[in-house]
Amino acid sequence: MRKQERRALICLLLAMVLLTGVVVFGARFVKEGGKWASFYGNSQIYTEGVINRGTVCDRNDEVLLECTSDGPYYSDDWEVRRATVHAVGDPHGNIASGAINIFKSQLIGYDILNGTYDTSAQGKRIKLTIDARANVTAYEMLGDRTGLVGVYNWKTGEILCMVSTPTFDPADGIPEDDGNGYFFNNFLDGTITPGSTFKLVTAAAVIDNLPGRDSFLFDCDGVNEYNGVDFTDVESHGEVDFRGALAQSCNGAFGELTREVGASAMQEYTEKAGLTEPVDVNGVMSARGSFTFPADDNVTLSWAGIGQADDLVNPCAMRVYMGAIANDGEAVQPTLIKSATFLRELTGGKTLGRYLEKDTARELRSMMKNNVVENYGEYNYEGLDIYAKSGTAETGSYYPDAWFVGFTDDENAPYAFVVWVKEGGYGSEVAGPIAREVIRTLEQNNS
Amino acid sequence: MENILYRILNIAQTYPELAREVTTVLRWVFVVLAAYILLLSIFSLLTTRCTPEIWGYFLVENGGNYPITHWENVIGRSRSADINIPVRTISGNHAILARRDDTKWILKSLSETSDTVVNGYKLIPGRRYLINTGDEIVAGGVHCTVAPASIEESRNNEKMRRLDKEPVAPWMILLAITLFQMLTIVQLIISMGEDLTPGAVISIVLLCVVMWTYVMVFKAMGRKGFEMEMIAFFMTTINLAVTSSWNPGNTVKEFVSMMLGLSLMIFMCFYMRDLERTRRLKPVLIGLSVIVLILNLLLGTIKYGAANWITIGGFSFQPSEIVKLAFICVGAGTLEELYQKNSTIMYAAFSLFCLGCLAIMGDFGTALIFFTTYLVVSFLRSGDLSRMILTGVGAGLMGLMVLRFKPYIASRFDVWGHVWEFADDQGYQQTRTMSFGAGGGLLGLGAGNGSLKYVGASSTDLVFGFVMEEWGFIIAVLLVLCIITLTIFAVMSIMAGRSTFFTICACGAATIFLVQTILNVFGAVDLFPLTGVTFPFVSTGGTSMLTSWAMLAYFKTADMRRASSLAVEKEEHNA
Ligand SMILES: [Zn+2]
Repeated sequence: MRKQERRALICLLLAMVLLTGVVVFGARFVKEGGKWASFYGNSQIYTEGVINRGTVCDRNDEVLLECTSDGPYYSDDWEVRRATVHAVGDPHGNIASGAINIFKSQLIGYDILNGTYDTSAQGKRIKLTIDARANVTAYEMLGDRTGLVGVYNWKTGEILCMVSTPTFDPADGIPEDDGNGYFFNNFLDGTITPGSTFKLVTAAAVIDNLPGRDSFLFDCDGVNEYNGVDFTDVESHGEVDFRGALAQSCNGAFGELTREVGASAMQEYTEKAGLTEPVDVNGVMSARGSFTFPADDNVTLSWAGIGQADDLVNPCAMRVYMGAIANDGEAVQPTLIKSATFLRELTGGKTLGRYLEKDTARELRSMMKNNVVENYGEYNYEGLDIYAKSGTAETGSYYPDAWFVGFTDDENAPYAFVVWVKEGGYGSEVAGPIAREVIRTLEQNNS
Repeated sequence: MENILYRILNIAQTYPELAREVTTVLRWVFVVLAAYILLLSIFSLLTTRCTPEIWGYFLVENGGNYPITHWENVIGRSRSADINIPVRTISGNHAILARRDDTKWILKSLSETSDTVVNGYKLIPGRRYLINTGDEIVAGGVHCTVAPASIEESRNNEKMRRLDKEPVAPWMILLAITLFQMLTIVQLIISMGEDLTPGAVISIVLLCVVMWTYVMVFKAMGRKGFEMEMIAFFMTTINLAVTSSWNPGNTVKEFVSMMLGLSLMIFMCFYMRDLERTRRLKPVLIGLSVIVLILNLLLGTIKYGAANWITIGGFSFQPSEIVKLAFICVGAGTLEELYQKNSTIMYAAFSLFCLGCLAIMGDFGTALIFFTTYLVVSFLRSGDLSRMILTGVGAGLMGLMVLRFKPYIASRFDVWGHVWEFADDQGYQQTRTMSFGAGGGLLGLGAGNGSLKYVGASSTDLVFGFVMEEWGFIIAVLLVLCIITLTIFAVMSIMAGRSTFFTICACGAATIFLVQTILNVFGAVDLFPLTGVTFPFVSTGGTSMLTSWAMLAYFKTADMRRASSLAVEKEEHNA
């Protein structure tokens, strides 16, 4: 019998297998239960493939989408519908990064204790951080053009405006995706030639790597031939120093600065600026930017340093970098859902770490102010303490893409922004006013 | 009574809001009751162990004095021998000393190289000899004898056993299960309304009556341990609720199967009190199993891809489920039998036959259950780990070969581990199980409120998800813990077991329950390919219910706690 006593331990081994499996499953259940429960096969919460409960509203409680067992109801205002559809998403899940998709389990009122059990069967109300009115302003300003406007609070990380065009009216029937990119959110999913906005990265590398930058001088003749290649500017800038080179966005000067900094430092500062990694927005990963800085090809390196060549930036990542400059070098993670706690308001958003040294950020900030004063005109942004950099990116089309990136620093309006208009023309003239109007709307609505 | 039920139905229909509030509260009540019932039973089962009884003494010259605590003992030099005499002239496993029902002792020499002499008579190895206490035994030159346990000793035994912790009294658990059952009926009326059949309600009420009757009758007969039955009655309650939610018309059938199973269990418990009688039944069981399986092969009809059903006179059942019962008994053996080659060969041949039949039927899940049980039982018998591993690997390879010819099963292996990518074809059942199951949260949506029931095989293969959705994750996990508890109990029973026959039976039954639960749960939630195996007691299906209950007899026979099991004759050692 004593032999059997020992051998019977094999039964306990089997019991351990069962127990381990249940523990593993339990861990998955805790971790992914919400995702499982909100799976489209769950007929408790889907009626004909459309989620049947939950309400999505903006930061000021304006209802953007109400899901009921009779089907989804959108805002009555067609402009709101078109301006917010990329943030809100469509019930069929065509827009993968839409709130209805990523916050599905919150929307259906899932929690681990009750699952999808809900006496009212009305689901939960989730409050997005976006401001519907500001989105409408952005949408109106973009008009029929392809583009994007992204604004977020660089202290709390709350995304206030996220508009991508072309867009569509979800109440008007979901379009067939015929290659028009209706479902594509340029802001999160796009990777775009950054043009001169990338000089903010090059400038950061210069500040940290060239101690003699104050005595830097470049004589711009408007053509700026280097090794047989022209780094043309719209006009001759004459003799420019480092600050002037950024204010005038002198390609010749920045080409030379890039070469002085060198390929490896450029690579390093692009990575430090977070432009080569995706940004996590409530679990949705933005697209990843890509850059090449060849050490053995000074011409291509120069182009890369002024935001051309193979440079592709993700607008969301660019905006986080703007936030980092505003926030003394520390970047804050963007979020699309309004946090219920005051703690968030007090302590600020979740930090993504230090992108820049404090002094570097301060110097960049001062140069971005200088850009506005010297080039874009402070009178154009009356009432806003704005810091910016425009961009006019050559993409091979007849009209270049217009960029305007930067931030404002008001107690009530700490906003970092990115505006891009495809084939819009000259950067600050086209994209600048869009940023201004959206921020003004935000200030009116949220002060 | 009917009146009360209709009144509840009326209220639920007139005030749906109120009814929903009731459900909201009931979900908590169910979880608390279930935790109380099961944790109390589990705790009692695992903490009330029994002191091994001393049946006599084995005295060895020069002072050795070994208490005999089992009915079957190996005498030998081997350290794992029950009576371990470290003398070189004695073989590793020298002889078997076994106690008979009539308190007489049997001695059987196992050693070919070292002699055993009783009162001057040299024993022929492999033959059984009746000996008396006080006879002079010379084993490998060492003088020894068997001394009876003195009356004083027996009294001490008695005292010791009285100090043992008693099993928990069943009354509070019974009340809790009753409350659980009545509230289940209320909840089902709220959720199902007029879809709930009177038969379903009556079945649950009758289950309650049967449960009380069972406990009272055997309590009157002086029995004390009812934890295993309480666990089984509770699991059956969940089964009836699942069936009522899934297809109320089937609930009566489940109840009847449970009654048949319970009767079979009681019969087996009484029958197995006599070890000799049980042993003699083995060839009969083998014969019947062979006939039933061959009938299955000839008349089998296909359900869910495997031809493991026969329908006779409108009554359909799964023969392989019933054969499980015989399979355990055939694999078990007394200590003597474990040293007999032909007994081992017969078991191997029988197993091979069963596996062959299951392979032809295409019932991969059940084949896996039989095979694992065979491995465990043969290991218990021989202790030969290397042979077990060899057999396992060999069969695994053969299994892979078979898979290539069974595309239906192979496709299930294909999606294993990434069912979400195949959510609408081969992964359909698993993804629904996880989705609806997660929708139940920890507390469940309430019996009858689930939606997994509209998915195929939800109440059998996917029943773990069914319970998760309607009863919540906590209760689902508690059900798994019940099975694990029965296993631990079976293993513990060996410490004080009478014969290896009973302990192998208990461990074999535990293995079957375990493997079934592993395959059922793991298959439903994508930890293993879906094999279509039932969860003991909980999955719907008459044959499964019947077998689960009958299987309980194997655990009861191993229950050596004082006066606790109906399968062990009361106080017999005092006679
Ligand atoms: Zn220039």
